[in-house]
Amino acid sequence: MQTKLLHFHRKNILTFVMLMVFIGSLFFVDWGKNLFHSGGLSTLAQMIQGLFQPDLSPEILQLALVSTWRTLAYAVAGMTLALILGVVLGVLSSGILMSDKGIGRFLSKSIFRGLLGFMRAIHELVWAWLFVAASGLTPFAAIFAIAIPYGGILGRIFADMLNEVSSQPLNALRSSGATRMQQLIYGYIPFAAPDLMSYVFYRFECAIRSSAIMSFVGLGGLGFQIQLSLQDLKYDEVWTFLFFLIGIVVIVDVWSQMVRKRLVA
Amino acid sequence: MESTDAFTLENVEKTYGEMKAISPLSLSIKKGEVTAIIGPSGAGKTTLLNMLSTIETPDNGTIKIAEKRTSEYRNPKELAKKVGIIRQQFDLVGSLPVIHNVLVGRFTDWGFWKSFWSFFFPQEKDIAIQALQRVGLADKMYDRTSKLSGGEQQRVALARLLVQRPEIILADEPVSSLDPARAEDVLNILIQIVKEEKQTLVTSLHSVELARNYFDRIIAVREGKIYFDQRAAEVSDADLTNLYQLTELNEHADKTPPLS
Repeated sequence: MQTKLLHFHRKNILTFVMLMVFIGSLFFVDWGKNLFHSGGLSTLAQMIQGLFQPDLSPEILQLALVSTWRTLAYAVAGMTLALILGVVLGVLSSGILMSDKGIGRFLSKSIFRGLLGFMRAIHELVWAWLFVAASGLTPFAAIFAIAIPYGGILGRIFADMLNEVSSQPLNALRSSGATRMQQLIYGYIPFAAPDLMSYVFYRFECAIRSSAIMSFVGLGGLGFQIQLSLQDLKYDEVWTFLFFLIGIVVIVDVWSQMVRKRLVA
Repeated sequence: MESTDAFTLENVEKTYGEMKAISPLSLSIKKGEVTAIIGPSGAGKTTLLNMLSTIETPDNGTIKIAEKRTSEYRNPKELAKKVGIIRQQFDLVGSLPVIHNVLVGRFTDWGFWKSFWSFFFPQEKDIAIQALQRVGLADKMYDRTSKLSGGEQQRVALARLLVQRPEIILADEPVSSLDPARAEDVLNILIQIVKEEKQTLVTSLHSVELARNYFDRIIAVREGKIYFDQRAAEVSDADLTNLYQLTELNEHADKTPPLS
């Protein structure tokens, strides 16, 4: 009885111990003046001031518009490639095109799952560095740097979605004499499409942020402008660019809501 | 021998783990017969139908479809020309328009590219329109299938069978999810199609009433065995009462728990 009670409270005891450790650790922090570097507070004040008074001069706005367009273009192109890669590799790694028995399905699954794993194990920033090193500061570097890891993520998710499609309609298709490719078009994809689309939109949002960050490498776009303005300590400009970034993310979100509503209805 | 068999079962057996779903069972169904399989839940109706449709294979015994062993049907398209299946629901692809679900019946003859092209520009539309007219849904051709009511969806499944034109139709509880009026409506259309096309029909049913009113032959299954096999007109109320009687007193009751 005692041991059972102890077992029951196992998690609570662990939570309590960890809370105590955390509170205890606060006593060892040096709460001295080194928490902010000298002038750190005034920098913070400047940043906050920039938030309320962003630089809205025509030159900066025009620069922001061009950079936004470039960031968006990289994201769209990268995402399109990622979608193609993801669908093709996702179908192959789900193994649905192979017969249930035999080694074909196992081989197709393991080879393509491995490939997808490799693609997404490396972060898009690292891919960007690699491509910049290989092909220089071209748009292709940014596009491929998004397409490869995002293709890996989409492929993995798509494979899982395909494997979860309920078997009854598929059995019905099979009993109508549908081949595996016909089952893919008329069964698997229509069932998985709404979920896949909403996930693609979420990923597209991520791709926009990624594309902005990516330009820190020097590829142009919003991130690059943010970096330049930061180096000049022009926080009002930084905020202008950030507002543009937030703007496109919000627009994509609204758009995805609209599409999702239509797909699910 | 004036007519040939649609199905011939010889000593067919099926066991799931410890549970005997079908005890050795022999049965033949002639071409053109309209047969209902009835019996209490877990009697083995669905297992029997799944074996007839080759979704499941028996542990022992042989099943012949149109005088040919099931294992000899290597090509799914060849089998689909012999046997068509309609189930209680969830058989259609809800997110596709009605016409695509109907044209799936043509996949017995269509290759990949034709069905691919048809996904964007529906092919052989006339056949689909005719089939939908016969089930009374011609106006819903381009509607999203999931927007249709349960009865309408079953009629779409019937239209698909009309397009597929198999020699034999297997129906697994085709009306169990419908209200009585819709059930009669769908069953009426099904029987009418089968008679007009001179097809063979094997249906599992919950409703004894419908079985007696619409079918020629009734096969009652209980505990994996044939309990009786008679012309529908000859089935007595006493037979049916015995069939559905609870099995508490039966000595095998604990060995054969009901299948779901």
